[in-house]
Amino acid sequence: MVNPLFSHSRRNLARWFTGSMGSILVVFAATLFFLETQEQMRAFDQELLNKSRTMAAAVKYRLHEGRWRVELSDVPVLGSNSIPYDNEVQYVRWYDRQGQLVRFVGALPPEQLAIAPGFVTLSTPQLLRQITLPVFQHQDAIGYLQVAVPLTPVRTNLRQIRLFLSVGVPLSLAVIGVAGWLLGGFAMQPIQAAYERLQRFTADASHELRAPLAALLSNIQIGIVKPAANLETQERRLQKLVEITKSMTVLVNNLLLLARYEGSLPASTLKVVDLVPLLKDMAGTFETEATQHHLRFGCTLPDHPLTVMADADLLQRAIANLLNNALKYTPPGGTVELRLTATNQQALIQVKDTGIGIPEASLQFIFERFYRVDQVRTPDHQRPKKSGGFGLGLAIAQQIIQAHGGKIHVTSTEGSGSCFTIELPLINHRFRLLPSS
Amino acid sequence: MRILLVEDDRDLLEPLQEALDASGHGVDAVGNGAIAQWLITQKDYDLLILDWMLPEVDGLRLCQYYRQSGKGSPVLMLTSKDTTLDKITGLDAGADDYLVKPVDMLEFLARVRALGRRSPLWRGDILTLADLTLNLNHLTVERANKTVELSGREFQLMEYFMRHPQQVLTRIQIEETIWTWGEEPESNAITTLVRRLRQRLRGLNADSWIETVYGIGYRLRPPTGSDTPAILESNPNGQPPI
Repeated sequence: MVNPLFSHSRRNLARWFTGSMGSILVVFAATLFFLETQEQMRAFDQELLNKSRTMAAAVKYRLHEGRWRVELSDVPVLGSNSIPYDNEVQYVRWYDRQGQLVRFVGALPPEQLAIAPGFVTLSTPQLLRQITLPVFQHQDAIGYLQVAVPLTPVRTNLRQIRLFLSVGVPLSLAVIGVAGWLLGGFAMQPIQAAYERLQRFTADASHELRAPLAALLSNIQIGIVKPAANLETQERRLQKLVEITKSMTVLVNNLLLLARYEGSLPASTLKVVDLVPLLKDMAGTFETEATQHHLRFGCTLPDHPLTVMADADLLQRAIANLLNNALKYTPPGGTVELRLTATNQQALIQVKDTGIGIPEASLQFIFERFYRVDQVRTPDHQRPKKSGGFGLGLAIAQQIIQAHGGKIHVTSTEGSGSCFTIELPLINHRFRLLPSS
Repeated sequence: MRILLVEDDRDLLEPLQEALDASGHGVDAVGNGAIAQWLITQKDYDLLILDWMLPEVDGLRLCQYYRQSGKGSPVLMLTSKDTTLDKITGLDAGADDYLVKPVDMLEFLARVRALGRRSPLWRGDILTLADLTLNLNHLTVERANKTVELSGREFQLMEYFMRHPQQVLTRIQIEETIWTWGEEPESNAITTLVRRLRQRLRGLNADSWIETVYGIGYRLRPPTGSDTPAILESNPNGQPPI
């Protein structure tokens, strides 16, 4: 079941992601548009200025019959002798230094120059950009040239950019939203997995702890509500209470063991342990048990010592848990194998069986506390050889091995068996190759 | 009441079954979901008590299956799943009550009684036939200010008779109603049970009410003339035991 908490968080993540990325995008697009407008206007004005300067350069100012006269006949567009500058120019006007209109081409202008020199945008039916350029000769103003061109090219360009942005920005926002939703999903996955793991752990733990309590309470209360009619019934009831209490004691001991050896072991508790005799000893015990279960038991040990720093009791307990599982989950006629080998720096203890194996989906959880492949959780002592205690055996084994600085892992094929491998760091691998003799 | 109790922890199943038995209920106790699923198609129960985590078919699925097959008897979930979400899931699956283990036996029995009152078969905590009354909670028979206590099985038989007065009940009917599933009564068990019940009723001078119909079975018939028509009456004022 998908927890509503997670879809809510995912939606929130996506929303915040879209919100933040989207506002960055919008601010970016607005800035871009603003700068582009500025740049286009600047370029346009520059061109207009150049054009006007070219025109102004054609203004001739010469002494004629003792008076200085302004001659405009060579000015492009304006002058009578000139060729049209280009057809973009809307109008050209020449005002003398007093601001009186002297000559013009294009629309009928005001008689008097009304505006200060510079650029101005006029919104006559058509949008025009007008420049009023003072023309100087020997530092004397001789008149004002006014030129106007339509702003159409700039407007067209800007409209195109605007169109692009008004389609592009919402589209990008949508893409960001989708990306945010997907990323939110990715981000929630490990959280959800951790949450589910915790949920499963608490559910399993509460079941394991409550089941014996429930059985105890009910069995005691039935003794009060309906006193036993005969001694036999009473003994059976008491015997059951003993059984439940014992199994609960085992559970509590296991939990205490797990609590006690969290983290690495203090160096003072570790001793030099030769794995070969330790495993040989264990093999003897388990071989007998395997025979009782009609299983073959194989044991392969090297003929030279392999020493590790370990707490021998704990190490035996970890290996015993693996061997017990192997015996429990291997049907009669199968084989359980205990093998000790070594690499350069590691001792490898392998427990291999030809049992029922572990389903692929369960492998990642197999070392978790209270985890059981069989989710039914019937108390162990009621289903001999079938179910795995409280689901703590492998968790304990893993914790012990990790406390020794080692590693434990498993490979398994459902239906054909499992292989658990313990890796422990060897004390001094230089001596490993020396034969014990 | 006929109760199906499904619980895979035998250490819990046994005391619960014993307690329900002692309260005069007929209990079919099974530890496996698949068997339970088969049983609810075969028999009618007044109450189902289901654990959640069961081998093969879990309690939740059983409950849904039971409701989907149109059965209306109350369902009590008895489980160690204790989160609010679990409870909601359980109740939404069709359960009428939800108890978290470990549960106090007295509370458990009280809940069972409470759910029993919702059963379509409930006709009060006291059954009356002529001047004889049967208290369903105390497992007692009363007549003329005298009271006799019955054992669980005697009570079940008496209740069965009281619910079907004047009717001839065959041995097979009695066996199916009183003996739990998978339990084979010995050949003379019904005869013995009837004899024991008659002995109890002798204390009330009513042992002759149970008639043997040779070759068929038994019938509960109050002596004619002792009272007007023998109609089963109900009285909901019974007090719970203990």
